[in-house]
Amino acid sequence: MSLYLPIAELSMNIFLVIGMGAIVGFLSGMFGVGGGFLMTPLLIFAGVPPAVAVATESNEITAASVSGALAHWRRQGIDVKMGGVLIAGGAVGSFFGAQVFTYLRSLGQVDLMISLAYVLFLGLVGGLMFWESVRAILRQRRGYVPPKLSREERHKAWIHALPFKMRFRKSRLYISALLPLIIGMFVGVLAAIMGVGGGFVMVPAMIYILGMPTNVVIGTSLFQIIFVTALTTIFHSVNTQTVDIFMAVLLLFGAVVGAQFGARIGLKMQGEQLRALLALMVLLVCIKMGVNLVVEPKELYSVSDVVISGGAH
Amino acid sequence: MRRLFIYCMVGVFLWPAAAVQALVTDLSNTRIEIRYSFDGAQLILFGAVGSSTVNPVTSEYDIVIVVRGPNAPAVVRRKDNVGGIWINNENLVFPAVPGYYAVAATRPLEEIANSGVYATYGIGFHNLPLITKSARGLIVPDPVFKEALFRLRSGEGLYRQEQDTVTKLAEGLFRTDIHLPASVPVGAFDVETFLFQKGSLKSRHRIKMNVDKEGFERTAYDFAHGYPFFYGLTAVFVAIGAGWLAGVLGKK
Repeated sequence: MSLYLPIAELSMNIFLVIGMGAIVGFLSGMFGVGGGFLMTPLLIFAGVPPAVAVATESNEITAASVSGALAHWRRQGIDVKMGGVLIAGGAVGSFFGAQVFTYLRSLGQVDLMISLAYVLFLGLVGGLMFWESVRAILRQRRGYVPPKLSREERHKAWIHALPFKMRFRKSRLYISALLPLIIGMFVGVLAAIMGVGGGFVMVPAMIYILGMPTNVVIGTSLFQIIFVTALTTIFHSVNTQTVDIFMAVLLLFGAVVGAQFGARIGLKMQGEQLRALLALMVLLVCIKMGVNLVVEPKELYSVSDVVISGGAH
Repeated sequence: MRRLFIYCMVGVFLWPAAAVQALVTDLSNTRIEIRYSFDGAQLILFGAVGSSTVNPVTSEYDIVIVVRGPNAPAVVRRKDNVGGIWINNENLVFPAVPGYYAVAATRPLEEIANSGVYATYGIGFHNLPLITKSARGLIVPDPVFKEALFRLRSGEGLYRQEQDTVTKLAEGLFRTDIHLPASVPVGAFDVETFLFQKGSLKSRHRIKMNVDKEGFERTAYDFAHGYPFFYGLTAVFVAIGAGWLAGVLGKK
């Protein structure tokens, strides 16, 4: 059954849209990740214009993060103050990201930027994750236990030398507000140009750079993602009118159902194997994106409407 | 419905008053509504050729039908290999090209009239006067880009040439199907019918048709484009509501 999406201005099979949501939801439930970095490429591969895919996925991530953050809120796993600082940075980053997005769209280069960003970040994150998990699996077999570093030891000296120190009680930290501000800003830019929540950058940054305790990391990350993707949705709506609510709701519906099943399977698997599998998948998407960039396309020409920013046309 | 329509057309054809005009056409639907289930549309065009004292249709005739959608600017881009990756490099902006263009005829076009005749009346995509904007001002387009535009839009079903035939049903009565793809642009369409005899134009008749988003689709589109900030805000609230709902249901 095909459904005409009035904002995306294309007709798509409703079961295909829900199915894609379900597949990504299943994977994100299984691996415990947001799934934006899988959903956006999947939409692009399915023929959705990249700009629409990115903007619409931001909208869906807001919804997915609300339900995730709700669970962490009940367990008191959110550092609201830290989240607030991250959001402040994220708002600025998202605004500039959306500006760049709009500008490149008018030049016809937004698809290129999206692909390059994906190849770069998925390659980096997937590669690191893969290496980490393979090393962990090998060590486990050899029975090697790495010496545990305390939180203070992990925390580098230069971080404490930064000005504008702030106390974050929930995270038991007294650090410069500049750090979360800059991290938030960087993730905000990624959210706007890639259609991701940015958890894959935010979570490692919180653990290794900020030194936050792991019990508040996921909750706080989800908490800030809600606001940053909400802002991104509004920026894209205003700048390029590429947010399709209907597609977002359909994707969400699929994702919610898929995540329930994914979470059950994920519980039965070992952490390291799960991570190695996720890393492989991330690398696979990265390679597919990369191949599309380097292999000579069958059709060198493309036609599109001339983009007029803002207002009706 | 369709049969009734044919009877009506035959009636028009046989009615003495109709003989004043050499060519009459009508569409099965002149208002196409794009709704949630829209997946393209098929229209039927009927026409009748009558005799008139000025232009008597006594011998064999040919019909060429041109359906033209609203003009809109379009940009054609070409990818080039820059440092190992294929990126959009050169581009050409066409300030006004039809968003839909279809030509149907009773016979292959070259058998009906010579190319000079089509050029005179602007029949056929290659006879459309397209100019382009570039850094140097308005220029006649590079034929490669114009060709690419035609090829790409043909692939989407937006440009159809030499694909549909006009069928003669009976003496002086003809019909053709007009295929509109799901991605058809909204706006005013012109459906022009040309009557040829012995390689020269004898008569032409034009009717209007309209494609528009309707109901909920229209409202959503207008909202997103007219009030983008509030649309974005709505999208966010819908997402928060849906996410909250999913979170509450998922807990149980």
